[in-house]
Amino acid sequence: MMTSDSSSSPSSSGTEFADPNPSTDPGTNSERVQSQLESMNLSEPSEVSDGSHTDYGGGDDDDDDPAEEEVASANGNEGGVSNGLAGTSGDEEIEASSRAEHPVEMEAGEEPPSPTSSGYDGERGSSGGATSTDKADDASETEIREANVDGDTASQHEAAWLPGKRHVDEDDASVSWRKRKKHFFVLSNSGKPIYSRYGDEHKLAGFSATLQAIISFVENGGDRVNLVKAGKHQVVFLVKGPIYLVCISCTDETYEYLRGQLDLLYGQMILILTKSIDRCFEKNAKFDMTPLLGGTEAVFSSLVHSFSWNPATFLHAYTCLPLPYALRQATGTILQEVCASGVLFALLMCRHKVISLAGAQKASLHPDDLLLLSNFVMTSESFSPICLPRYNAQAFLHAYVHFFDDDTYVMLLTTRSEAFYHLKDCRIRIEAVLLKSNILSTVQRSIAEGGMRVEDLPIDRLLRKKPSSTPNPESLTDVSVGTGGPFGLWHFMYRSIYLDQYVSSEFSPPVTSHRQQKSLYRAYQKLYASMHDKGLGPHKTQYRRDENYTLLCWVTPDFELYAAFDPLADKAMAIKICNQVCQRVKDVENEVFLQGASPFSW
Amino acid sequence: MASTSSGDESLRLCMFDLRRGQTEGQELDKILFFHPADLDFSTQLSVIGLSEGLITFTRLFSPEAACEVIEAERHSHVFYEAEPDIWMVMVVEKNKETGAIWRIDALRRVLKEVHSLFVMFHGSIRALIEIEPTGGLTRSQLYPFITDYLSSKPFSPNLAHGIFILFPSFNTFNITNCQHFKSGLALKTAAVVNCSNLFVGKKLQLPNFRETLRERGTVKMLTLARDTALEVQSLVQVLDSCAGNLRCHSMVLFQDLLVSTTLSADDTVNLFTFAVMRLTSQALSSGASSWSYLRKGTGSSEVSSRSTSAPLDSLHSGSGGNHMHNVIRPLQNDKWTKGKDGFLMTDIWGLETGGSPDSAIPTVWLQQTQERVYLLAYQYKRLTLLLLMPTTSIVNGDLSVSAVKQQFIEDASLRVLKIEEKISRGWGGENAYHVKGYRYLVVDNDMEVSRASPSGKVTTLAKETLLALNKLREEVDVEKSRAKRQEKDLEICIRAKNNAWVIARVTRGKELYMALEKASDTLLDAADAVGTFSNRYCSGAFLMG
Repeated sequence: MMTSDSSSSPSSSGTEFADPNPSTDPGTNSERVQSQLESMNLSEPSEVSDGSHTDYGGGDDDDDDPAEEEVASANGNEGGVSNGLAGTSGDEEIEASSRAEHPVEMEAGEEPPSPTSSGYDGERGSSGGATSTDKADDASETEIREANVDGDTASQHEAAWLPGKRHVDEDDASVSWRKRKKHFFVLSNSGKPIYSRYGDEHKLAGFSATLQAIISFVENGGDRVNLVKAGKHQVVFLVKGPIYLVCISCTDETYEYLRGQLDLLYGQMILILTKSIDRCFEKNAKFDMTPLLGGTEAVFSSLVHSFSWNPATFLHAYTCLPLPYALRQATGTILQEVCASGVLFALLMCRHKVISLAGAQKASLHPDDLLLLSNFVMTSESFSPICLPRYNAQAFLHAYVHFFDDDTYVMLLTTRSEAFYHLKDCRIRIEAVLLKSNILSTVQRSIAEGGMRVEDLPIDRLLRKKPSSTPNPESLTDVSVGTGGPFGLWHFMYRSIYLDQYVSSEFSPPVTSHRQQKSLYRAYQKLYASMHDKGLGPHKTQYRRDENYTLLCWVTPDFELYAAFDPLADKAMAIKICNQVCQRVKDVENEVFLQGASPFSW
Repeated sequence: MASTSSGDESLRLCMFDLRRGQTEGQELDKILFFHPADLDFSTQLSVIGLSEGLITFTRLFSPEAACEVIEAERHSHVFYEAEPDIWMVMVVEKNKETGAIWRIDALRRVLKEVHSLFVMFHGSIRALIEIEPTGGLTRSQLYPFITDYLSSKPFSPNLAHGIFILFPSFNTFNITNCQHFKSGLALKTAAVVNCSNLFVGKKLQLPNFRETLRERGTVKMLTLARDTALEVQSLVQVLDSCAGNLRCHSMVLFQDLLVSTTLSADDTVNLFTFAVMRLTSQALSSGASSWSYLRKGTGSSEVSSRSTSAPLDSLHSGSGGNHMHNVIRPLQNDKWTKGKDGFLMTDIWGLETGGSPDSAIPTVWLQQTQERVYLLAYQYKRLTLLLLMPTTSIVNGDLSVSAVKQQFIEDASLRVLKIEEKISRGWGGENAYHVKGYRYLVVDNDMEVSRASPSGKVTTLAKETLLALNKLREEVDVEKSRAKRQEKDLEICIRAKNNAWVIARVTRGKELYMALEKASDTLLDAADAVGTFSNRYCSGAFLMG
């Protein structure tokens, strides 16, 4: 379909060749940067292919991160000529098209995606069950937000986030591309593009060379560039040997967290390829890595997506599915038995939550590896070589993955590539235990019931009855359903330091829409970064209030608590509530944490 | 390889014009100023090339606000677009051991300050370039000006902190040693031993985390008793009419505190900054001793010509271009003395004996009225008065400066004497604004006014506390810059690792920063302490939630 009438598709998100904005010339701009650097005779960005080749692989074309007025209007303004390659999938088509076909580009020799992974539709956050919040969860930063559509309508929530690459037809000459709120780039130290969150890597070769030029220019001066700030934008750089990672973002996230995201992105790459990739670059500086990553776009897009909803990405801790203690014990026992038979790690998980896990003696699993692993498994093949970057970045492990139902799966990791049948046998033994003790239905019930809720916090009677010390008598009547927990408590996260686990409350009103949830997570991320400054060591307490929230944070040797309250919440009352939250978590710790059997305690 | 040049790498400061030198081979033409001036051109160009490259690059994504800072492993590059397409970039070396930890915003304020002062004396840079398109004039004024600014002692006016003039080395003293000097007495000893200016051991001392409880580019006010205030008011009226029918502007300082001003906030800040640097009684008396690093010992107050003349100038404007311009160095050290009549004299603008008598009188450019005015400074003990008269009035021959001076002495000198006495009597000394138990900074952004704990008291804070506060201020800077147009309402209380509370409160254009080191305090105690402070000293501006 060729669309020449620019006004006919104001909402189609950027399939333009032409830059509709004649006042700026981004193409030459990008070149100018390089020439400015080059004119100093100090950097020699390697020649890069002038990739005009369009490689469109998927029908997945919903609007992504910008999700804000800026881009909505930009798209609206954009005229341009549709190139027709994309089949211009409108917003209604998104769901159907990407459910129908896995949006992953297939490369020769790759296994087809597992059927279960295409059924994956935004395993999200800490809320579970078929509640309305669940649907709100699924509406993510990646949905289309047209300027004329209220961001919180029900139809919006139906549009689940789907893994896969967006906007392959864009490049650095597109206005819409430049207005994306968060870009991720991976390139080689010779300037060859490896991955871009938006746009076709080949077409971004020139841009990639510019990034390389900036990095090497600073390197030539005996320094290493970490961050460039311009207005609301941050450009974050991470150099990992021959691989450069860059994030360009105007989201309100801290530098520390953006750098952590690049680190995870790198980890995901290592998980797929191992660090031996460095050697390929040693042999050939112009080595092209893209074919090796072919078919893995969904893994990366899913990871990038998790940066905005999964606290594990900044807490560096994992979370468990709430379960009765005895049941978790039972699963733990079989997993440990399996490990004793030569399996390195055995993990039983439900979406991104751990049901139980076990490891061979002395083998311990870093929460970041766990995150990358489950992200990989839920978006790709079921038996594959993987590498745990925190465990051993040099070596491949073999992961056997089996989904018992849509949500619950077991992962068995071994060093032996020929162990498939043994692993399969282990899986059968595990399955037998699960069936016998009826764990899968308990898991489903737990998903449906969700985790801890701020509304369910038992309130100290004294607190309720005691005349509030605040001059605001309404704070007492605030204790009701619909406004979160007692005394304006909206949400909390509790991280157990020595278990490497966290538990967070379900989202409650008024933090219901995905946008609100994302905003709360961003506030938490800031709080986390503020508390964990590298040079100063962790602060102990922080109270932070702005127009949106009152946040409280405690960092102790045993645990960290992050709590969000109504911005008008009374300070003294909030402190009391936090103490109660901690007490409550301790009361139910056997259900919300995986105790004892954790390999970390060895 | 880029920066392999020898010499001090701790600071590079440059100014360049993006509209110049865009053709190949002409790149040097961009450079308007570079410190250190003797750095080889290829290194200078590489600093500017990187800056320019990133300005262009960031505009791809952020057209409305280009590059503000580059954070690299070893250096911070701080950007400031002083005028459209005229950029200043400061590259500073980070060094945790020597305490080279700063807030980017504080560094940017240094750039802003030096540019504002330059404009006050010379007019805008763009205007200078337009007058003389080779850029020779601009460079020949900029090089000595910025070099003089950098070699000020201490590194630039510590606007709000008289104590630094008494103990100038304090902020330059090695941090690790400083930890041992908890008592004021010990500090004084250190100050005498380590008497120096911003160049300590060839290293520039920039506003580091120890200055986190102060705000450059703001004015510190003196609080007056009611009756004194009335007398000041009547003095100001007299000053207003010193020049007959023409209205004069005036500014009165007591030590380094502002007593009154009739200027706009921006003009006040600039002139106040200059007065504290060069004109106040303390500035004059500190001039007696000589400790400028750049000065070559011989007692001559001339900064070596190499560091002040524009090296590019001879390159571009042919032979002797530099000498064609009448270079005025308003920030030169030790150039002001007090005359017998109480007026301050200087030969910076020439000798009064040569040519027209009034051509030697200092002039400054006022932003508010967009006019050039004569600057007359009068001093009686700790009181300094600045009188600003439109230059047109003199040129037209309506008035002569000496007549105005005479008029002033007749009408005002007695009042000045009385006011000085009165203020001195009620003046609590340099610790007048100390509030026991608190270490604080209050900034009113609308008025460009700040008040802070005396520096001598701030030094009693533990290094960890100051670092935590510095970091907190950085976070608040980020929040403020993101909020830009909207009013930010923010309250942050952090208990640091050492149990100190560091607190920031931002509301309606006002900011409060505070450190409390009472280990037993709970969050509620800390909040109460802020509330009490706010009620007593800030008219309740910072209500705590």
